[in-house]
Amino acid sequence: MANRFQLPNLGIGLGLRTTHYSTILEQKPAVDWFEILSENYLRTEGRPLDFLDQIADLYPVVMHGVSLSIGSSDPLDWEYLTDLKALRDRSRARWVSDHLCWTGVAGKNTHDLLPMPYTEEALAHVIDRVRAVQDFLGAPLALENPSSYAEFAGDSMREWEFLGRLAEDADCALLLDVNNVYVSSKNHGFDPLSYLKALPFERVVQFHVAGHTDHGTHIIDSHIGPVIDPVWQLLAAAHQRSTGVPVLLEWDAEIPSFQETHAEALRAREFIGASA
Amino acid sequence: MNREATADALGLHERASATTPERVGAPREAALGSAPAWTEGKLDLRTQQKWFAAIVSTPQHEPAPVDEGSAVRLITASATLSSLERIDIYRRGYHARLIECLVDDYPVLEHALGTAAFEAHCRRYIARHPSSAPSLNYFGRHMADFCRTEALPDPAFAADLAALEWAIVLAIHAPTAAAIGFEDLARVPSERWPQARFQVNPSLRILRLAYPANAYLQAYRQGKPTVLPAASPTRVAVYRTGRSVWRLELESTMVTLVESLQNGATLEVGLAGVQALLQHEEELEIAKKIRHCFQHSVASGLFSRVLL
Repeated sequence: MANRFQLPNLGIGLGLRTTHYSTILEQKPAVDWFEILSENYLRTEGRPLDFLDQIADLYPVVMHGVSLSIGSSDPLDWEYLTDLKALRDRSRARWVSDHLCWTGVAGKNTHDLLPMPYTEEALAHVIDRVRAVQDFLGAPLALENPSSYAEFAGDSMREWEFLGRLAEDADCALLLDVNNVYVSSKNHGFDPLSYLKALPFERVVQFHVAGHTDHGTHIIDSHIGPVIDPVWQLLAAAHQRSTGVPVLLEWDAEIPSFQETHAEALRAREFIGASA
Repeated sequence: MNREATADALGLHERASATTPERVGAPREAALGSAPAWTEGKLDLRTQQKWFAAIVSTPQHEPAPVDEGSAVRLITASATLSSLERIDIYRRGYHARLIECLVDDYPVLEHALGTAAFEAHCRRYIARHPSSAPSLNYFGRHMADFCRTEALPDPAFAADLAALEWAIVLAIHAPTAAAIGFEDLARVPSERWPQARFQVNPSLRILRLAYPANAYLQAYRQGKPTVLPAASPTRVAVYRTGRSVWRLELESTMVTLVESLQNGATLEVGLAGVQALLQHEEELEIAKKIRHCFQHSVASGLFSRVLL
């Protein structure tokens, strides 16, 4: 059974991190695929692209962005989108993803994934923008559920309802980050399984897993450390509902050796069986 | 006059990230202040976002542009955190990420100013030059000019150091080009030498610094003691060949030759410029120095192509 967009199950991948470049290029380890952070390869003509070109020749690549700002009330940044499209073509990325969030307003960029108000107004706004982006890219956009630490007082629906309606009405793909579901469930007090039950899984084309940091009063999606067991269990639950989609580990700070990071990613096999 | 490579890991710090970093111990600085008018009734998307962004970008340890009573109109409290405390998670993350970016670009400036002073300096920089680009690759571009306007112990030295570190960043992001060697030159027919033009490495920048910032940077990288130096003009070439970024202190003859060739002059014209610089020296010494100047430029990888 394939996902609605016929995007391939690439297997178990890793977020490509600069500290691992040398190991990857020298040892060419057996990794199913890499996810790149798109912005690290934009507005540069130099060394980052040299590395990417070599890695894209060896492995399938998927692009994951943090600056699309799909939920911003500012106009879409067409220069950014043009660069994104060029990078996709250059790296032969299998698909492009970003987050259900906004990163700035009034021309300023906070470089953070800021939470959306979940209102009818915001939903209509984001649907229009996703359609415009997909038309421009000529391909489905995969949107990731964000981790969040704040909820707007004016919200008229929960995140899973917003995301599900957005995916259906804009006809876009979803990148389900089960760690983000876990983090937000703790920060906002909801049942993570209820979140999963509400999603249109035929639109889910990729899973993310990651570590996080518990500060007692709240959890930060720090992408530090190994994935905790409840998150792996959520992956298992999500995988059962899915069409069999690739899994990717994000590890962004205090990054261990490539071997250790890859070994952590491969733990996904214990929870999804041999299908990825 | 040996060229020195920067640490290979330089510029490899992860820029884009889907996480919210945290940083503690923030000093006070001027508020950015761009919150819209707070009106009664339902807040539309744009108003909500402008308010949220205004609070997030307000420097830490400054009062938020709304009080707790007003913030609950924007963000609900959780079981453990108030409305403002929840927004403050993003506020800390905003400043932490941009400071991280500047620390990555300016590790030696951070060393020179000291960690706490540099962090305060960065916070003022962020307030003065908020990011408006989707990529953080060029966020730090104003640092040298910014140093000159700040009350630092030695702003001119700090500005030179920042200019040198920024040139390294630019070299990383400049197009990659091969360097020609003597074997390439050997293939040039002798009668074509005078009119030959040289494509200078596209990443090359020649900095004219008032302080020996490169010597300071090199001492730092080698783990040697560093002292704020006295003013002493230097010219430093910063460029990249393959994955390595190089810093090379230049004599005036090399500056003349390379800049002349960079501007499209023929080798004959470029070398004539060098000769003019040496006019008060002995003829044999002039010939020796011209030869050395050219050979050293080639050996250092400053040229990427001969154009005949």
